[in-house]
Amino acid sequence: MSRIFITGMGLISAIGDSVEENRDSLINEHCGIGHIRFYKTAYAGKLPTAEVKHTTDELNKKLFGTPDPSVTRTSLLALHAAGEAIRDSQLPSKEISSAETALVGASTVGGMCLTDELYHDARARDGGTPYLSSYDYASVTLAIRERYGILGETATINTACSSSANAIIYGARLIRHGFAKRAIVGGADSLAKFTINGFNALNILSSKICAPFDRDRSGLNLGEGAAFLVLEKEEDLNGKKTYAELTGFGNKNDAYHASSNSPEGQGPYLSMMEALERSGLGPQDISYINAHGTGTENNDETESRAMLRLFDQVPPFSSTKSLTGHTLGAAGAMEAVFAIQSLVYQEMYPSLSFQHPIPETGLVPVLHYTRHFIRHVMSNSFGFGGNCSTLIFSKS
Amino acid sequence: MMETAELKQQVKEQIIHFLNLTTVKPEDITDDEPLFGEGLGLDSIDSIELIVLLSREYGITIQDPKEGRKILTDINTMVDYIEKNRTK
Amino acid sequence: MPYFHQSVCISPQNSFPETDLSRIRESKNNWLEATEPDYPGIPAAVKRRMGKSVRMAVGASIPLLKKFPPPDGMVIATANGGMEDCIRFLNQIHEYKEGLLTPGSFVQSTSNAAAAQIAILTKNHNYNITHVHRGLAFENALLDVVMLLKENPQAGYLLGSTDEISAYNYNIDRIAGWFRDEPVLNTGLFEKPAKGTIAGEGAFMVWMNNERTAAQAEMMAVKTIHTVDPGLVLKTMEKFLSENLPSGETPDLVLTGENGDIRMAPYIDIVESYFNESVPVARFKHFCGEYCTASSFACWLAIQIVQCGFVPPLLIKKKGSRSSCKRILIYNNYRDIQHAFILISAVERV
Repeated sequence: MSRIFITGMGLISAIGDSVEENRDSLINEHCGIGHIRFYKTAYAGKLPTAEVKHTTDELNKKLFGTPDPSVTRTSLLALHAAGEAIRDSQLPSKEISSAETALVGASTVGGMCLTDELYHDARARDGGTPYLSSYDYASVTLAIRERYGILGETATINTACSSSANAIIYGARLIRHGFAKRAIVGGADSLAKFTINGFNALNILSSKICAPFDRDRSGLNLGEGAAFLVLEKEEDLNGKKTYAELTGFGNKNDAYHASSNSPEGQGPYLSMMEALERSGLGPQDISYINAHGTGTENNDETESRAMLRLFDQVPPFSSTKSLTGHTLGAAGAMEAVFAIQSLVYQEMYPSLSFQHPIPETGLVPVLHYTRHFIRHVMSNSFGFGGNCSTLIFSKS
Repeated sequence: MMETAELKQQVKEQIIHFLNLTTVKPEDITDDEPLFGEGLGLDSIDSIELIVLLSREYGITIQDPKEGRKILTDINTMVDYIEKNRTK
Repeated sequence: MPYFHQSVCISPQNSFPETDLSRIRESKNNWLEATEPDYPGIPAAVKRRMGKSVRMAVGASIPLLKKFPPPDGMVIATANGGMEDCIRFLNQIHEYKEGLLTPGSFVQSTSNAAAAQIAILTKNHNYNITHVHRGLAFENALLDVVMLLKENPQAGYLLGSTDEISAYNYNIDRIAGWFRDEPVLNTGLFEKPAKGTIAGEGAFMVWMNNERTAAQAEMMAVKTIHTVDPGLVLKTMEKFLSENLPSGETPDLVLTGENGDIRMAPYIDIVESYFNESVPVARFKHFCGEYCTASSFACWLAIQIVQCGFVPPLLIKKKGSRSSCKRILIYNNYRDIQHAFILISAVERV
């Protein structure tokens, strides 16, 4: 089995337009969650969300010069992050477009960020908006494929909030099985009337800034963004710089309920366990965890219980969602980048808005930026439908 | 004002319609049978749906989901609450 | 080597519970709707929430989950998941002006709902994934299982697909030009080539493992590519065949996703004309209609055909002279740019 390394990263979120900008915000506790400015919804001013601080037109102009009217905000975010990752990997464009490059995207909103346009087109007798072919999840991956002319294996995954963690896993497996030499993997989601209403109907959106792992947490804040990584195998590196090695991954299902975790966090427990087994590491080897930590009553308690079951002593952990909001299909890849940055710079990022531990579990996350020796870092992503995934990155 | 018995029948019909309980008939739901867990076997998503039902059909707003769960214990508690709090 | 074992296909044709491919059911208003059984295996309390795509997927999986040990993973393909539920929620957003909404249809509309529901019903904690790459979602799911069976040679997996037609996504695709404007019957789909085709839907579930015993077909290889260049499609197929068939050999049947849309004809033509007269050509979209995971219907057909060695006449486009039908090449094309090849073979009995 080839060893898989990360050789490029790209990221855009509410706390920055690049991997480095995001790191600065994490270090300086710049929270990206705030009032809704860029998309239309009745919840503007009522429910805080974490928006990327650019209008869709701005993003479009930046990427295309002349804005391409058929490209959705979700795809624009994906193109932005994938572009940074590809440049960062320093792979020549001939290699990127070759049949040996796999592309694995992930999204849970896809083009449905255009909620009103979709509503219109679904009723139209004729005419229609420019977005007729852009509503599905695959449209996001296909936008990247189109831009770089990628001829290799191309996939899109939707396992709700663990989607892009699974994209990373799938890309790594394609390389290991010889179906690709390298893989561009990640995910994107943008804020939408559709999701804010959906999550609100489930009573899991907070009207305050979210407080992951806090006793008085009152729900999550939705966010948007995209993150992509370039994966290459050890044999092809030729001395090239790498950020980290993907040493373990787990994909398990909680098999309990469509929209909440089992009380003991069985899915989260099993997925962390599987990732550890695959990496050949023991619980004591994990230096730091980027938790799923959404800020909902159900997730934070069940994730805490799963961590307490797995670790004799729970390692330092944080929820970067307290700065970026919950970016759904992008979250797994975004937090993978944060986890890798923590390895590269030997540091841990703050979990904001925390005051009191959950009485039943007593766990306290990392509260401030802290320098720390990190050898192996874990990143958790759990989704609706019980889809739980865990990644482990190790210092290369 | 609607008689309690009549209201109970109406609420049962509404629950069946709202939650698409295609195999359940109003007479299958007894007034003191728990709606959640063992009895009718409803879950947390259903409880949110029933809160929406109370709002749309009877103009009742329930802010706290925990309070909601008490009101939604069984048909008796639901109808009792509707009679006291309905605005339409 | 991965093998296909028992499978279930819920389609617009007579595919479940009994299979009869000697007759064809006609489309209505350019739709081929899947005929659903009663699904006695799905608990009523769960069924009441399911949209058609989830119901078909869960319903198709139940006979297999009863027969085989708990799967070591379930890999589901669906491009859109619960379209009807998605639009139902969208309608609520508008009707109640983003007010108090019921969450049921939102939860059901997520495309991983089918895989999730099967896991919940069977309390299965194993690998669980949903592939949604439009017209190649099924091929990606198939490749995922191929890799899983290399990683865990003793394991068994549930592979499946599901997609539904809804009035709304039909509308969107029709105004985008993917469906025929004028009424056309599936039985006459290939008579007058024009722009667009007819809509279809269905679900397919199959048990896969590495055991030849009791297997129904062998999964040889799968390859996908995105391109609008027919020449590259041809090159890709040549390479695919040379890598996966003994030198100089050709498949005993080419089963194509021809759908009556003239824009797809150049690709179908170049694939068909590559083979000599002896190789028969068959097609399947007049049976299942066009939908993102339609190639899973072709996969189901291929599994049936290699078992009996006989191609149902209603599928045949060009008769060849092969005396047997052991190896089938499926070529599917989804809206110009997405192309897929799957090679399926009869099980060699030792």
